Amino acid sequence: MRFILEDIINGILMGSIYGLAALGLTVIFGVLKVINFAHGSLLMVGMYVAYWAVILTGLHPYLALVIVVPVMFLFGYFLQDIVIKPIFKAEKAVREPITVIIVTTGVWYILDNLSLLVFGPQYRNLQDNPLRGKMLEVGGMLLSVPRLWGFFAALLTALAIYLFFQKTRTGRAIRATSIDREAASLQGINQYKVYNLAVGIGTAAAGIAGVSLVPFYNIFPSVGVLFDIKCFIIVVLGGLGSIAGALLGGMIIGVIEYVGTQFMAATWTEAIVYGLFLVFLFLKPSGLFGVKYEW
Amino acid sequence: MGRNTIRIGPLVLAGVIALGLPLAVRSVTYLHILVLLYLYAYLTTSWNLVGGFAGVLPLGHSAFVGIGAYTSTVLSLQYGISPWIGMMIGGILAAIVGVIIGLPTFKMRGAYFALATIAFAEGIRVMVENIDNLGPIILNGPRGLQIPPLNTGLLNFMFATKEPYYYIILFMLAGVLLLTYAISRSKLGHYLVAGGEEPEAAMALGVNVARAKLIAMAMSSFLTAFAGTFWAQFTLYIHPKSVMSLDISFEIAFIALIGGRGSIAGPVLGALLLRPVTDFSRIYFGGKLPGLHLIIFGVVLILVMIYQPRGLQEPLTRAYRSVTKKLFGHTEAA
Repeated sequence: MRFILEDIINGILMGSIYGLAALGLTVIFGVLKVINFAHGSLLMVGMYVAYWAVILTGLHPYLALVIVVPVMFLFGYFLQDIVIKPIFKAEKAVREPITVIIVTTGVWYILDNLSLLVFGPQYRNLQDNPLRGKMLEVGGMLLSVPRLWGFFAALLTALAIYLFFQKTRTGRAIRATSIDREAASLQGINQYKVYNLAVGIGTAAAGIAGVSLVPFYNIFPSVGVLFDIKCFIIVVLGGLGSIAGALLGGMIIGVIEYVGTQFMAATWTEAIVYGLFLVFLFLKPSGLFGVKYEW
Repeated sequence: MGRNTIRIGPLVLAGVIALGLPLAVRSVTYLHILVLLYLYAYLTTSWNLVGGFAGVLPLGHSAFVGIGAYTSTVLSLQYGISPWIGMMIGGILAAIVGVIIGLPTFKMRGAYFALATIAFAEGIRVMVENIDNLGPIILNGPRGLQIPPLNTGLLNFMFATKEPYYYIILFMLAGVLLLTYAISRSKLGHYLVAGGEEPEAAMALGVNVARAKLIAMAMSSFLTAFAGTFWAQFTLYIHPKSVMSLDISFEIAFIALIGGRGSIAGPVLGALLLRPVTDFSRIYFGGKLPGLHLIIFGVVLILVMIYQPRGLQEPLTRAYRSVTKKLFGHTEAA
């Protein structure tokens, strides 16, 4: 029984990092109504930025946040401003920006393969950082310390984004745009600036997820793909656009993966996750916490 | 020069060139590249029936390629059934799966539909990777199936040279293009376009949008499975990563969007432009610059979406029209 409990707790810890990775996706969808297919690649970029920040400056892996968060925010901000905005403008009348979805796929291909060109295919990791392989014993259970920190990072990031959206003037503008972009524009809100901010925040959140992963995870050009589909599943489970839903969805996936491997091959848990995802899509497409979007 | 000459002339010319090409191209490598080009033009044209005309974004067509490849291969290896018959059975299976996917998903908005098709395709791939044998049916999990090149001949869909494959895929492509042309002029085609652009308006006029989309999905998955059988017989080795990879689904969507989805010429044009980029960058830069072609794909895709959101077929068609107009007078006026 204790093993199961240990798996559940470790599943929740790792799952919250998945949730953290998916947080940006749900923020971007909530505002732009676009599934960002490049999200895994943004996470990959965040991991590389964190990795190089630690290697080049000798910072503690978590202090890399000071560099990663602003860099990733600006990266997302300008990605939306330069690449995605022109398409929104060209397709103003279209309600479902399919073209934008496919353009984010283009961004995904470019980023992944550029990093393959620049950094090469080899796996990198922070070999001798203080957190690698560190365990904490609680009541006879072994918990991974970097995953525990990731769990706290996920909760804090989610809270910070929530408070920003609820309590600040800019946050209110973002929420107004996400509810009705035409009406928000009429109130003098610059729709595209809000989009820039939303993608910036979402990308910065992916950067925080990257920092949480770097102490114990391998970094390679296609690492984002591992998280991409997981993130899609998480946000649909939790409800597209819901911040709490992303965290909960992530934890559910994490628990399935960790507990599932006790009973079956890891590859089968993957199949179970896809099955669960489809069940949700068909029965409750708005997810656990989702709002029914009419757009 | 009548109007029809101007419209059909280039098609006849292209057909004659395509038929004669193997006489000029003696290199096995180039013939291989041409076969893949037609295969992708075929795949994208099939995809276009639902992805183009119906205005949704399916990103899981790799599943149908896989179903086609596995059905015909299993039937021929383990039951001695000709791959041609297996191709039909695979097509029917794929159409059934396509309808099963379409039934619940066509009600969803664009983003959900794209995600659902990906999840279906990946789910099927993961399952095949996990299954070594399904009762008496041997799938071999991730190792896949090898087709021993023993009995060549038309009946066995197996040839020692590339030329027969070239002509088979050429005829398949011509067939699917004719079918697309017929559909685009039919009631179904108009229903699809209407339902894709203005679903509410179309439904208000009594168009059964969901039914039209389902028919398109069934046809599209049926035809896509054929390409899977062709692929299996052409390469004689299939495994989940080769015939069910998401990369196939994305490459099809890229080709369609760059060429121009929803048009007949778009998929062929897209394949003509993008497939050589893939093959030649692999041949010349594969070792030093891996993934170069995918960067080019991404950049081209973004530029096309910004400056020619309807795909490259539109400016090219316009250019062709204005050239013929200048040369032969105002024949397009009517």
